[in-house]
Amino acid sequence: MTRRLAGLALLVALAAACGGGLEAQDVGRRAVERLRYPPLRFDPPEPEVHELPGGIQVYLLEDRALPLVSVIARFQGGYSHYGRPYYAAGTAMPGLLRSGGTLSLAPDSVDRLLEYYAVQTTFGGAGESVFAAMNTLTEHLDTALEIWGDIVRHPRFDSARLEVWRGQELENVSRRADDPARLAFSEFNELMFGDHPIGWEMDAVDLSRERLSPERMRWLYDRLICPAHLALGVTGDVSWEEIRPGLEALVAEWAPCPEPLPEPPPPVIRREIGVFLIPRELEQSTIVLAHATDLRQEDTRDYYASRIGNAILGASGFSSRLLSRVRTEEGLAYSASSLWTTPVRHGGIVGATTRTKGESTVATILMVQDILREMTRQPPSSDEVDRAVEEAVNGFVFNFDSPSQVISRRMFYDAVGLPADWLERYVRGIQRVRPDDVLRVFRRHVHPERLVILVVGDPERFDLPLETLGPVTVLEIDGEPAATSPPSGSPRSPG
Amino acid sequence: VAARGQASAQAPRTGPDLPVHEVTLDNGMRFLILPRPGAPTIAFVVQYAVGGVNEEPGRTGIAHLLEHMLFKGTTTIGTSDFDAERQLLELVDAVADSLARERALGRVDSSRVAALTARIGALEDSARAHVIGNEFDRILSRNGAQGLNATTTAESTIYYVELPANRAQLWFVLEADRMRNPVFREFYSERDVVMEERRMRIDTSPGGLLYEAHLGTAFQVHPYGQPVAGHMADLRRVDRAEVRAYYQRYYGPRNAVVAIVGDLDPERIESWARSYFRDLPPGEPPPPVLAVEPTQRGERRVQVEFDAEPQLRIGWHVPAPSHPDGPAIAVLATLLTGGRTARLYDALVLRDRIATFVSSAPGPGERDPQLFTIDAVPRAPHTPAEVEAAVERELGRLAETPPADAELERVRNQLAASRVRRLQSNLGLAFQLAGSTSLHGDWRETFERVERMHEVTPADVQAVVRRYFHAANRTVATLVKPPRPPEAVGGGHR
Repeated sequence: MTRRLAGLALLVALAAACGGGLEAQDVGRRAVERLRYPPLRFDPPEPEVHELPGGIQVYLLEDRALPLVSVIARFQGGYSHYGRPYYAAGTAMPGLLRSGGTLSLAPDSVDRLLEYYAVQTTFGGAGESVFAAMNTLTEHLDTALEIWGDIVRHPRFDSARLEVWRGQELENVSRRADDPARLAFSEFNELMFGDHPIGWEMDAVDLSRERLSPERMRWLYDRLICPAHLALGVTGDVSWEEIRPGLEALVAEWAPCPEPLPEPPPPVIRREIGVFLIPRELEQSTIVLAHATDLRQEDTRDYYASRIGNAILGASGFSSRLLSRVRTEEGLAYSASSLWTTPVRHGGIVGATTRTKGESTVATILMVQDILREMTRQPPSSDEVDRAVEEAVNGFVFNFDSPSQVISRRMFYDAVGLPADWLERYVRGIQRVRPDDVLRVFRRHVHPERLVILVVGDPERFDLPLETLGPVTVLEIDGEPAATSPPSGSPRSPG
Repeated sequence: VAARGQASAQAPRTGPDLPVHEVTLDNGMRFLILPRPGAPTIAFVVQYAVGGVNEEPGRTGIAHLLEHMLFKGTTTIGTSDFDAERQLLELVDAVADSLARERALGRVDSSRVAALTARIGALEDSARAHVIGNEFDRILSRNGAQGLNATTTAESTIYYVELPANRAQLWFVLEADRMRNPVFREFYSERDVVMEERRMRIDTSPGGLLYEAHLGTAFQVHPYGQPVAGHMADLRRVDRAEVRAYYQRYYGPRNAVVAIVGDLDPERIESWARSYFRDLPPGEPPPPVLAVEPTQRGERRVQVEFDAEPQLRIGWHVPAPSHPDGPAIAVLATLLTGGRTARLYDALVLRDRIATFVSSAPGPGERDPQLFTIDAVPRAPHTPAEVEAAVERELGRLAETPPADAELERVRNQLAASRVRRLQSNLGLAFQLAGSTSLHGDWRETFERVERMHEVTPADVQAVVRRYFHAANRTVATLVKPPRPPEAVGGGHR
């Protein structure tokens, strides 16, 4: 098979000789090995970058293929900059911008106009950033931009619509335990990140009317949705000259942000090990296990090695060890994957998650721990490393599948301080990874004996007592410890 | 970057005008090839006209299990020594035959059953010594493939993947190989995986359980009522030989439609289609679905007990989408729940605030008469009964007074925009071309159905509400908490 690639430029020139050699109907492994691919002719599209008055950046990628235009506004900053009392208001912000009407238009008028013109809107984000996007047929661009701009600039935060949102969220709170996977992940986040925005789980206190008043929405809006935090992206059937007047009108007479965003607190990630059980009478257990790591997303050898190592461990589906062992070989689970979060500004967590029938719960946890441990003891084979690298390099073109994907990525890089060519650096960086780099980064950052293990499941069904893994803390579903099992010696490091 | 000042996009060719290149091989295999501008990638979709409805009671879940098995490789892919492996697989089948006979005698829990089951596992483990795990997947992944997956529905099994445009030939080599030479290795461990999938999607999911119970209650004769995932008891029993025989009969080229969309040269693709697939024997037509659901005579209700907050599904039998009432029924779904101004969303979620979610659609298939289902999540303290009453009130209003033409105008505008939007994705287009051809015989059919929705009048919508949305034709499924003895509540530990 193909050798490792020396650089990005080679990616397209790879496997130079085209055609030839293949008899019609020749199939199977030999035929695959004999295939030679022509070079991929491809110039990655580069967004134009323009500036509006006030220094607002506009990223634009013209694409005349279809009579459609998309515009996205991205505001850096979210509830994580403003503390728990603003958690609900910050979470509500994107949805209430969209649903809460404008100073001149009642909420249902906005709805009717957007639906009449078949304008699609997407409002999202919350913790670290807020975005507002719209997609329209070119023929309705002016109208769509005007309504969407009104939503972004002059929201009403209608109290009846706020009440609808609040009721939906309260309902969500009471349904949190209905889905075992959702319950497991939210509890695990809370266990690992505690009282940090990443660990927050919405509750009735957050959702009090006081914390969700139109006044509080307005207060937070003024601090988040303001020009200094804004970048705009435009893609589709429009040029800079054509869209510029509409965008200038959008940002005209916009009061500056009243203050710089306060720094969000760095998370204090749990370092103690522990085994936690949420008992639920279910046939299948949901398992999440992980521990804290210090590795961040940055241009370092360790970071790239961690990405390749993570792909080999469990982030690349059927090519990865977790799915190969737990699913394909043992038939213990439908899904099994690794988790390794590497935020830009702070450390994250590393571990794995899977779901298996109650009767194989502990055996599966032990197997996952073993797979993690192997990664810290032996370097992966060079074939595993090559495979993970080729997957990213050969699939590179899919990063440019849609213009809005290109624009959103670039806006994100600029907002969080990554270089504009981060994607290219990344692809170069992973191509330098060697098996020993993966071993080094796993030895440094992955500690299978220090895991926090959480199981949602029915202990009556378990193959072995969960205490096999260490003292067990039973959690009530609001996250408070209900009981701890009697000391049963020091936590065993199984296997 | 495109030149500035360039003329705006022309109204694109949409729907039935798309330049689809159609190829039908002598063995019946159909190809739909569509070049589309954009990044140099290509989407491939293969749709077999075999799904859950083709299965007999007691043998459910075979199509879905086969969906999994076709990723297990071939006589050359996924193996280091196929001759050695084949001998062991024959032994696996021999033991499985004994197990089937034991079960046929009604000895489901005998020690012999346990011993035979263990023996199958041990033999499969021995065969594994010759297996190169997931090699099919790994070849594609390492060539940059995206989104490799498959899905099984009531009426189809669909395999899909996207590749960089220069690697299109790889798809032909692999797909022709797995149609011709599939090997169902690791069968019994994969059957365990499928059971875990069922546990995840249905047995531990309140929505999944309710869905299964609702369809099972509404369809008592037509196989739409049986689960595509299969009943657990059927999965425990099904063996390798049976699944392989099913594959050999029904998964031939005559039941396969391939859609290929993206940055491609249609002639090149056609020549590969012919050279790689023309020699395959056609296979048999899918087992026909002869069952016809009789007219429902009286409302049906089913409750599912699960430790979760309430949910509600209400369904009414309606004709197949190809029926003259099909377009009006599709418009009705949009009118009821397609957006914030839609009637049920407006009444239940925004105005009365008795629900947090509501959706509606006909399902679960496309060919035969369907169940039009409204799915809702009540907002406490409001009950499923209140939500049900509100739904009935809104339907009653429509039965009494036809919708305003402005409401239909909104629906028509959205249809017009969606005609353009759907051209944005290679994979989305490939799904539509393959689905329309496989289910309805012509790739234009689903596009033309959308056109027919434009013709629907307010009176048509009123007429279908009056015709089908009455109590005797209704099946209501609710999710309720099981009654619990007080001492069982709460944590406790062991």
